[in-house]
Amino acid sequence: MSDSKSSIERREFLKLGGAGIAASALSACATVTADQKVQPVAAAPAPQTEPAVPAPTHSEPAGPPMRTLGRTGLRVPTVSMGVMNADNPNLVKAALDGGMVLLDTAHGYQEGRNEEMLGTVLPARKRDSFVLCTKVYLSTFERKGGTFLPQTRPAEITEKLDLSLKRLGLDHVDILYLHCQYVRESVLHEGLLEALVKAKSSGKTRFIGVSTHKNEPVVLRAAVEAKLYDVVLTSYNFRQDHHLEVQKAIGEAARAGLGIVAMKTQAGVYWNEDKKTPINMKAALKWALRDPNVHTAIPGFVSFDELEDDLQVMRDPVLTADEEKSLVEPAKVAGLYCQGCDTCAGQCPEGLPIPDLMRSYMYGHAYRNREAAQSLLLTLDLPATPCDDCEHCTVACAKGFDVRKRVRDIARLRHVPREFLI
Amino acid sequence: MQPVLILCVALLLGATPPKAADSHSQPAKAAAKTFPEVPGFRATPGPSYGPDNLFEYIDGGADAFLQFDFEELQTAAYLGPDKVEVTVDIYRHRDADRAYGMYALERPAGSAPIAVGVEGYAGTDHLAFVKGAFYVKMVQAGPKADFVLTRFAGRLAHALPGRTSPPAVLAAFPDGGRLPRAEKLAPRNFLGHAFLRDGVAVPYKVDGASFRLFAVRGKDAADVRNMVERYRAVAKAPASEVKTAGSERLKDPYNGEVLLRWDGPWLWGAVDQPPSLGQQLVDDLGKRLLRL
Repeated sequence: MSDSKSSIERREFLKLGGAGIAASALSACATVTADQKVQPVAAAPAPQTEPAVPAPTHSEPAGPPMRTLGRTGLRVPTVSMGVMNADNPNLVKAALDGGMVLLDTAHGYQEGRNEEMLGTVLPARKRDSFVLCTKVYLSTFERKGGTFLPQTRPAEITEKLDLSLKRLGLDHVDILYLHCQYVRESVLHEGLLEALVKAKSSGKTRFIGVSTHKNEPVVLRAAVEAKLYDVVLTSYNFRQDHHLEVQKAIGEAARAGLGIVAMKTQAGVYWNEDKKTPINMKAALKWALRDPNVHTAIPGFVSFDELEDDLQVMRDPVLTADEEKSLVEPAKVAGLYCQGCDTCAGQCPEGLPIPDLMRSYMYGHAYRNREAAQSLLLTLDLPATPCDDCEHCTVACAKGFDVRKRVRDIARLRHVPREFLI
Repeated sequence: MQPVLILCVALLLGATPPKAADSHSQPAKAAAKTFPEVPGFRATPGPSYGPDNLFEYIDGGADAFLQFDFEELQTAAYLGPDKVEVTVDIYRHRDADRAYGMYALERPAGSAPIAVGVEGYAGTDHLAFVKGAFYVKMVQAGPKADFVLTRFAGRLAHALPGRTSPPAVLAAFPDGGRLPRAEKLAPRNFLGHAFLRDGVAVPYKVDGASFRLFAVRGKDAADVRNMVERYRAVAKAPASEVKTAGSERLKDPYNGEVLLRWDGPWLWGAVDQPPSLGQQLVDDLGKRLLRL
């Protein structure tokens, strides 16, 4: 086995391929100011430059609002299908029959089974009735730094695209993305750009793009700078701390002619990690579509009920005042955020510093800053396995947190090597 | 194995036992053995991931794992002679059925089974298998070398707790026309319907006709009757009392005609335009399910 081949298959097999719509309950947080006081999540002001939902042109038949996907010229409904979780061909058929046009998958989803499933549906359909997007993740991509190793082989793009086409039963895809980028240099990687352009000129893909779910503004601007990409698939939702910055970069990219596809619009599905308080999914999707520079979004769905909800948004993407309100109020309820009220101080019969532990938990889970969480933990005098000796926790949190569960959860972080706190 | 690795694995795996019953899962006890020593190889700990950050490791692929109640991923790298490197990812799910379901979702069609754990498959430099609540994926990298993953798989399978047999319900599906190792499991949203949970679908090909047999185990007979009522509503079938056992054909607006049977805690049937021969298979399936 050669070095390069080994590394390719290693990444493909273990990492499953790059970015997607995986929306975690903790993937984004409410807006937090520098002094870490919680602010209610503020919906971004709707961009004012264009009407939120352009009216259909005279030449288009009555149907859902359509937008043009940048310089591709493709006209697509505002809601499309993220296929990554689906294994039921009938769900894809129902989405297409319901009016969706754009389908998003990736070479690595379900180790290739996702593309194979689409291959049972798409070849029987008129080729111009759907827009198929897939993504390739390179085995030599170093996830931690976001760059490609020196031994990167641009030909890997073509090899994976060929396999994807075989799985899909198609002779070309419509959009081929370089999967999961978040560093400017990688978006501008000369060899990979050449390979993408070659794939386009060969007719195996009509358009090329790049996907990102981290450092989105950097990737969007690099895609503009490259002058070769046609589309950017980007995370964008109302819970992103930096959603205003993302919105601005999306606007710049759209004005430069790039098509913009939004993912992770559902912002984690639940407000907190206990999964008891669901986010208003339709409202969250509409929030992203309120930006006219977002040409379509790709929510993932696995049930026909969810599909029907998304079809309703596709037909009527206007965010109502009540829906907008629903995106703000839950941030005020107990979630991941410890307000530092100190009600719990001194309550633990074992003398654990509960306020500090709750703060550490908030750093680790709400802010996703595990280094800060660990630093704080290491200043505390804790037993080896805190809370193990108590069957029931007597500490009462003013916000109703399960204190024992949180202590046991965060305390483990003390033993994780620093270099793994990414 | 390095002490730090043992400590990390023991604490990270052991501190969060599975929420649901998998009587074979004893992560706390087994944690220290999770990444076993392999002669000639030196283990290095890798990062671990939970449901909240798995997407940082496998991006959009994480959603599928979450559907199968993924709980924790532990990773490690082994460096061996001649710079042969083996990367081991151990995904722990809520229970053995969930782990098997995720494994089955990613299993390539037509791959040859390997007898390790419940089952595995391998490629030129990768190997995956499932045992108990653990789904293990390994890759070998480096210069040309003998395939070492079978050796790793054996040691890992020995170290991991849990059952070595597939979900019992699979044995109820009759053989005639059954496509081997092609079953799909769904903890929720089975056949795309939110009211159908813990379902298994097995593809068949009989006299050139392709269709799927399926089985859903409800909590009890009342739970199954409720599923039937809701299915009838989706199919816009006339409402009538749902008895403890019954049979009917429904016109599912999304999945087409569905042959539906139910009895006690079981709901089963056929979907995707089953031919007449499929009805005999459905009968056989029902008899076997009721014996489980």
